[in-house]
Amino acid sequence: MNDIKIVAFLCNWCTYTAADLAGTSRLKYEPEVRIIRLMCSSRIDPVFILKALMDGADGVLVGGCAPGDCHYSKGNYYARRKVAVAKTIAESMGINTERIRLSWIPASEGPLFAEVVNEFTEKIKELGDNPTKNEVYL
Amino acid sequence: MEKIYDSQMNVHDFIKAMFEKNIVSGLGALTQLPDNKGISYSLLSDGFDFQKCMPFYPVMPANAAIAVSKLTRETSPSSPIAVFLRPCELRALIELTKIKQARLDNLILISFDCSGVFPFKDGKYPTEDTLKRYDQSIKEAKINDTIRQVCKGCENYQPEGADIAISIIGRGVHESLALSFATEKGKSIQEKMGLTASEIQPSTIEQLTSDKKRNKQELFKNTQISNLDELLDVFDTCIACRACSYVCPICYCKNCYFDSQTFQYYPENYAQRLNKKNTLRLPLDRIFFHMGRLSHMGSSCVACGMCSDVCPVDIPVSEMFKAGGQNIQGVFNYQPGQNLDEPMPLVTYQEKELHEMED
Repeated sequence: MNDIKIVAFLCNWCTYTAADLAGTSRLKYEPEVRIIRLMCSSRIDPVFILKALMDGADGVLVGGCAPGDCHYSKGNYYARRKVAVAKTIAESMGINTERIRLSWIPASEGPLFAEVVNEFTEKIKELGDNPTKNEVYL
Repeated sequence: MEKIYDSQMNVHDFIKAMFEKNIVSGLGALTQLPDNKGISYSLLSDGFDFQKCMPFYPVMPANAAIAVSKLTRETSPSSPIAVFLRPCELRALIELTKIKQARLDNLILISFDCSGVFPFKDGKYPTEDTLKRYDQSIKEAKINDTIRQVCKGCENYQPEGADIAISIIGRGVHESLALSFATEKGKSIQEKMGLTASEIQPSTIEQLTSDKKRNKQELFKNTQISNLDELLDVFDTCIACRACSYVCPICYCKNCYFDSQTFQYYPENYAQRLNKKNTLRLPLDRIFFHMGRLSHMGSSCVACGMCSDVCPVDIPVSEMFKAGGQNIQGVFNYQPGQNLDEPMPLVTYQEKELHEMED
């Protein structure tokens, strides 16, 4: 499999900051992840996740503050529900739900961010190419 | 279980009585159009020949929740209007009310236990013979085998939440109406109409419910999609006409997100995609539209079956969306249209839930 693409939707206050910290701490992690910053993980929409997967992304990572620590106090609870919708639809429509991952990564946890990205990339490599990648009749 | 009363009236007398006793000033119901031109959901006032009303007629030219939503969205009617709705239409109306697309004030909701409707393809109405067999199946509390697929597998055919509920299964449509009054509004109408005598026994419907459940499981099995090839196969003939969303009572947006500028691409986007794939089937996002639509309305899908009816290429949309919708509703333990006060799944949350979604 070549050219893995993982789209990551990260919340500004925790997981994006953690990614930043991983960078400034010069941690090495798998380079396949493309980050899109959201002000809050609750800005995720099931449509974003499904669109990425239908357009050939191999995996979608959603990152937010740990439950109870949301900068806007409850956004991540909504995010969890939205990811649940995306996963359920993926399941109903024959798309592997393992390609969607939701992780809580606090701002101070640069190493955890690197670990999650490595782990998820490993998982995606195991799953192989997303069949939508080369499909023209979508 | 609410008590059921024998009204000693047929449906036309009942409608007339509601007007005579000034309980309502208008009525929404399926009605025979002049010169036998067809049957359509209509708004009627006193003076109309109510013999032309056919609230139990087994077709759904449009989901009536849309009509009621249009009637009440801006403001509630100034005097009471009674509306006949099938249980799925009633559920859709409750969902629309939750998202402020309809109002229930001054509406009297009349519903009945539904035996399903016939597919309304090419404007063709069921024949006399078909209707006769349908009436027989109501009397015997059985499933007619030519109704909509989703109706065959519909377990929510009881009129929950209606002000006035009419029991016809096990009795037939030509018997005097068996009525129950579940709400305060309903009870006050019962008093005004003086319907407090002659209680009757509810029909046995356990067998019917379990048959419908079995049909549902079979339906889900037959339309299950387990990989991309099957997904492409099912939607292969989709011409992206969007008719399914136009007739959907839950798809209320005036400007659909999927028709918006968001999905309007520039030539370089196409070029970029072509670079990787050599071919692109146009229009883009054909199948993605269905997934996106499911994410918008799935939690509220009442499985009325309109989408399959209008699909010009016969994709079993409602069968798949019934399954997809139920999966979403199951995750949040949410029953669309059941309770007006229950918030929709995506506008509420619990702190401790769905840990299986986290990694």
